[in-house]
Amino acid sequence: MVWLWLGSLLLVPLVGVAAVCVFPARRAKWIALFASTATFAHSIIVAVAFEHWHDGGFGFGAAIPTLQLPKFGIQFEMGVDSVSLLLTLLTTLLMPLCIWGSFSAIKDRVKEYYGWMLAIEAAMIGVFIARDLIFFYVCFEFTLVPMYFLIAVWGSDNRARACTKFFLFTFTGSLIALAGLLYVAWQYQSAYEQWSFAIGELTAFSATHLSGSEQAWVLLALLAGFAVKVPLFPLHTWLPLAHTEAPTAGSVVLAGVLLKLGTYGLYRFVLPMVPEAVIAYAPAIGVISIIGILYAALICWVQDDIKRLVAYSSVSHLGFCVLGLFSLNPLGLQGSVIYMLNHGLSTGALFFLVGMIYERYHTRDMSKLSGLSARMPVWAFFMVFFVLSSVGLPGLNGFIGEFLCLLGAFTASADNATHPGLLGPWYAAVAALGMIFAAMYLLIMVGKVVFGPLVEPVVKAKEHGERLPADLTWREIGVLTPLAVLCLAIGMQPHPLTHAAQGSIDAVLATYPERVRHHLALSGQLAAGSAVDEPEDLGGSGVGGGGDGGRVDG
Amino acid sequence: MAAAPISGLLAASPLVAAGPAGVPIAQDGLGFYGLILWLPAISMVLCGVCAALRVKSKLPAWITVGCLGASFGLTVGLYRAYESPVIIPLLQWLNIQSGQLTLVADFRFYVDSLTLLWMLFVTGIGTLIALYASEYMETDVGKGYSRFFAGISVFLFAMIALVAADNLLMLYLGWEGVGFASYWLIGYYYRKPSAVAAAKKAFIVNRIGDLGLLLGIYLIWHNFGTVQYAALFEQINAGGYPDETGGWSIKAIPYLLMLGAFGKSAQIPLYVWLPDAMEGPTPVSALIHAATMVTAGVYLLCRMLPVMGLHDLALPTVAWIGGLTALLSATIALAQYDIKRIFAYSTISQLGYMFMGVGMLASAAGAYHVFTHAFFKAVLFLTAGAVMHGFAGQVDLRKISGLLKMPGWRITGLTMLYACACLAGVPLLTSGFFSKDAIMAEAFVAEAGHGYRWLGIIGIVTAFLTAYYAFRVWFRVCAGEPHFEPGEEHHDASGRPRGEFHPHPPRLAVNLVLVLITVGAVWSIFLKRWAADMVADSTAGAVREAPAHAAGFWADPHLWMPWVAGTVGLVGIAVAWYFHLADRKAAERLKNALLANPVARLLPLALQNKWYVDEVYHATIRFPLWILGHILNLFDRYVVDLSLVDGIAKIPRALGRGFQPLHNGILHSYAISMAGGATLVAVLVFLLPQLVEFLGGLLGGQG
Repeated sequence: MVWLWLGSLLLVPLVGVAAVCVFPARRAKWIALFASTATFAHSIIVAVAFEHWHDGGFGFGAAIPTLQLPKFGIQFEMGVDSVSLLLTLLTTLLMPLCIWGSFSAIKDRVKEYYGWMLAIEAAMIGVFIARDLIFFYVCFEFTLVPMYFLIAVWGSDNRARACTKFFLFTFTGSLIALAGLLYVAWQYQSAYEQWSFAIGELTAFSATHLSGSEQAWVLLALLAGFAVKVPLFPLHTWLPLAHTEAPTAGSVVLAGVLLKLGTYGLYRFVLPMVPEAVIAYAPAIGVISIIGILYAALICWVQDDIKRLVAYSSVSHLGFCVLGLFSLNPLGLQGSVIYMLNHGLSTGALFFLVGMIYERYHTRDMSKLSGLSARMPVWAFFMVFFVLSSVGLPGLNGFIGEFLCLLGAFTASADNATHPGLLGPWYAAVAALGMIFAAMYLLIMVGKVVFGPLVEPVVKAKEHGERLPADLTWREIGVLTPLAVLCLAIGMQPHPLTHAAQGSIDAVLATYPERVRHHLALSGQLAAGSAVDEPEDLGGSGVGGGGDGGRVDG
Repeated sequence: MAAAPISGLLAASPLVAAGPAGVPIAQDGLGFYGLILWLPAISMVLCGVCAALRVKSKLPAWITVGCLGASFGLTVGLYRAYESPVIIPLLQWLNIQSGQLTLVADFRFYVDSLTLLWMLFVTGIGTLIALYASEYMETDVGKGYSRFFAGISVFLFAMIALVAADNLLMLYLGWEGVGFASYWLIGYYYRKPSAVAAAKKAFIVNRIGDLGLLLGIYLIWHNFGTVQYAALFEQINAGGYPDETGGWSIKAIPYLLMLGAFGKSAQIPLYVWLPDAMEGPTPVSALIHAATMVTAGVYLLCRMLPVMGLHDLALPTVAWIGGLTALLSATIALAQYDIKRIFAYSTISQLGYMFMGVGMLASAAGAYHVFTHAFFKAVLFLTAGAVMHGFAGQVDLRKISGLLKMPGWRITGLTMLYACACLAGVPLLTSGFFSKDAIMAEAFVAEAGHGYRWLGIIGIVTAFLTAYYAFRVWFRVCAGEPHFEPGEEHHDASGRPRGEFHPHPPRLAVNLVLVLITVGAVWSIFLKRWAADMVADSTAGAVREAPAHAAGFWADPHLWMPWVAGTVGLVGIAVAWYFHLADRKAAERLKNALLANPVARLLPLALQNKWYVDEVYHATIRFPLWILGHILNLFDRYVVDLSLVDGIAKIPRALGRGFQPLHNGILHSYAISMAGGATLVAVLVFLLPQLVEFLGGLLGGQG
């Protein structure tokens, strides 16, 4: 019955779905809240019982007993390492908050709404705990369905276009990713005469047995799936639309967890599976991330719609996350893992805050709102707090992730003795401009909406049913407080997280230093066997790439 | 111009060589002093609680004054217990270990004399200004009072973290933290658009400097593998760093750190935020934007002095930027009417002197000027604040006169007089005289090089301008016949005055603080040797001794400079006396005469408009970026999204149309297409490996 440890993380929300369907509509929200809170409580128990926090191993590995197709090697196996458990915890934490936060906003078709919310929770948890490719893919794809309905039914005016675009975009991407993964499985079958979909085995096989060009194709296929989810420039256009149209909790789920499926996919599949291709393409992906950071940041600056602004800021922020991943050293990956958690907390909270405004004023237009701190001081406090977290103020969580991602990219040069990389100082220097831009667009937004003379649109009470009190209710404060506490805790005490993630990161990076050295030696950037090298090499790799990044942007 | 490489000079200095190598980590007993940092944090939390409970008394002020006072007391205790540099561990923070790679940045105090010097005046003046603010902010009791004192507490927390850190990352935490506190407090009057804009500007301009500091920290880590001072200085002093192989990545470090310092300490090109920061309440201007925060840049350079030697021209650059900033902002101060802005420009100008001092390796003189300036500039702002408080926010020096003769304003007028004298450098009686001259004399020390002689002349000219504009304020506001107009706060929203206006002179807390800080300013005259020793015993101890061959009077600038600068200062005061007390119309006449001439009119216009620097920045940086943002926004909407993404999405539909004829409902055609499809699949399956190989060949170069 080991499988129940992780299996019940899926079962509890699914039982919740059934209960929501069976019981009358007025109970739905409480059932959903109870089910998601129970899931959270259970995930805490799992975290406490987890034994591999420090060695990077996988715990609670087990297969779901009845779902077995041994002939095809499909086992529906589960298991978590520290990083996937952290992301699971993020999911189980955010979901009760999302459900609790929807209490006042969702008035019609409540049963369906809470049913879909619980369904998406199960799917997202499934992605993080899957150790079987088919299981992973089923969950990965299944996240689309609830999200589609959440946007399509409870979204705002332009929802039809938004949900279609969201669905087609990500669905196409993940189909291509599936093709890539299946190719690996097929190669495995031809090599060993038997099928296996165990992620661990396929990963090890792919990294060692596939040729460089095969890996390159697999990388492109996987990127099609994961880069759309992240999203990386120029595949990001579904995101602002989907975010703007989605209901508040939908946006929170989208930003908080769904985008992390992309970066998690990069972390779990792309980096360990196709190392040769990653090394070959790291500079290109680095440049794309940097373009995304600056491009989206400048676009944020001229947005009038607050939600759209926060959505574009996600594109900008996740560029840092991807940059950290492709720096291929422990600092960058640490930064990236922390960034995944941070972004879920701060951007999730920002979407909540924007939603609270929308519930009260039915507008997200910055030109119609001003000086709201006079009316809503508590809201203003949280808004400024999470904006600062998002801007990367040291002492709060955002800084730790951003600092480490950039430090990772900065030191990922050819002359790094322990972990040579393919980015370098110029990548980090150009990307770091994103920090200034972030301060600009977020503080301008705060300056307009939170501060200044009070301007608020008139809302006709009858049109929108009961009115919420001017400032936040206790429920809303209760939704935001755990996030704020976590932001502060991660910002002041990041070392438990970094210690926990270290083992997993070391496992992912195990073969990279050697491979990168080999690659550099082949391409003549580094004399083989010499770890400390000439200054020209450093200049050669760093300056060229960074220059490209700058030029494309300018 | 050929000066000895500074790194060599530093290495040769016995003080640095003896440096912090192997600084011991305090085991027990000293951890108690961590409260110096935690007390302001506790105060912040308590003020936050007060805000949440809507406390309608002066409780937040007393909490803050109590906590900061205790923090100051502990700092004094630490100073008295201090023997040699020591590290006090407080809290684990960022700590990453993977194989050989170790990144450790914990909350730890690095206590040496330089840190103590800064901590003493930061906590001391901080306490006094919090006391002053308890009265100054009293109209806001129950409204923003708690928020204000929470901000002051945050500031002290961050500032102490900044100066007491034992690693660059904790310093960076303090560095951004004080920037944030500054944002918080400049924007205190958050309904005023100008205050909000000023707060935003301060944060963003500071961020540009912070980016420099951050990249500098990255480069330090990249080259030296540590961010902790002790280990870093050990490596630099040992000279074992890869100077030759590191190339630019070593040489760029001092310039990046410098950029950070220029941002925080408001030097060219990043000084533009400080004058606008005067939108904040005056105690904030006194504490953050005059006495303490803006000296963080000087602290950084002093602390990192060994690192600043990594490139020969780095410190001369600092000196020149400092000198030019001093001159530029002094000229702007000549033509302003807002008392607070004049003092703000004078702060920039005095900070320029400090950078000049540090840049010329006279770090002791620079730090001493920081110390004396903290007192007299705080007094200047606090008196300006008292005037604003008493005259309903009046800050225009043309609209108040004869303060000394009004009842209850004597202490304000006299303390302002002394502070102005300090700023002007009146000989022998004032601290500014001793500290500023020590810097300027350094410029004339024979082997200085780098054109420092010209820098000295710039310093003397600036000293003249400084004396003039300082006493322009004093003669206008405090001397002459009593006369006043109340400020804007006396009017209601429609611009009508709210009844009869009576100025209300300062009461106990304000007067007490004014007197205490003025006493401190006097006292600091006698602390020159002490301050110099404090700096010399630290890593900033690259004090160049007075040249040994200073036999004759002219050969030793330290002997004649006081007389030259003192005379220049007195002349400046005399000019101010003529234009602003003896014949107040004369200044106006002179200005009008200049304005009448088509060429000469450019000068007063340029001065009044601050040399149009803000406008130039707007036109060259902000505006183009903003336009770029709009272009990219449209690009994203119409090119990336509509053409690219939706265009690609149209391909399947077009393909679908192409296949439409197949779906004609005729059974045998379905059979044919089915067979065709099956064949296609079969062929694909058999050919796929070859296909993959073929495609792989296409990408082969990459793999």
